[in-house]
Amino acid sequence: MEPEAAADSRQHAEWIAEFEAAGRRPLAMRMRYAFIHTYKPVLDDAPFRAFDSMADYRQWCEANLPSWLGYGRV
Amino acid sequence: MGAFEYRQAEEVRAAFEAHGVRYLFIGKSGAILLGFPDTTQDADLFVENSAGNGQALVRALRDLGFDLAAEQQNEILRRKDFIQLKNGPFDLDLVFAPDGIERFEDAWQRRVTADGFPVCHPDDIIASKQAANRVKDRESLPRLRAFRDYWKAQQEKGV
Repeated sequence: MEPEAAADSRQHAEWIAEFEAAGRRPLAMRMRYAFIHTYKPVLDDAPFRAFDSMADYRQWCEANLPSWLGYGRV
Repeated sequence: MGAFEYRQAEEVRAAFEAHGVRYLFIGKSGAILLGFPDTTQDADLFVENSAGNGQALVRALRDLGFDLAAEQQNEILRRKDFIQLKNGPFDLDLVFAPDGIERFEDAWQRRVTADGFPVCHPDDIIASKQAANRVKDRESLPRLRAFRDYWKAQQEKGV
């Protein structure tokens, strides 16, 4: 097996192990570890925002949010 | 502001049911409800785009403790495509027209129920993230697709 394929295979096996482990935990516990509140600059600085269209929202994210937050389009 | 908790998801479900709001959990929060082990910040809800549903939604949000000014209430009643709420007991994103999903009714027909929570089918969650095509979505999609395949296999096995 090529090194890249072997790495992909290992990665996939790790993911399956994670899915199986998650499946053994009740939903309430999964949620406790899944929802984490961390401050996101700009995004978290207004109590309410509404956008006429998803395109408007995407444009606003690209124009206003730090790129490292990952909200920009590929 | 604390993180979204199971108890709050139950409160959303109860309030939305009491007021007859038609909605589905979507995005990573939806995938998490289905068993996807990952982290996220807030809950994303795909809400049916109809006048009656918008009115029911405002009533349910008030019951949940969201502090909606008149103008904010009007924005929800106008059913703008995307609304971010950070003025309540937890953060909530309301999506009336998610990328990658044509009609609410189609997603509703394909929905999955997890612990009584209505959730978009993983195929719809993936379609939405693919269409959004953000950097953070692009990074998470391979693992989410692997989860979708694992989840489908489990469903076929009746697990």
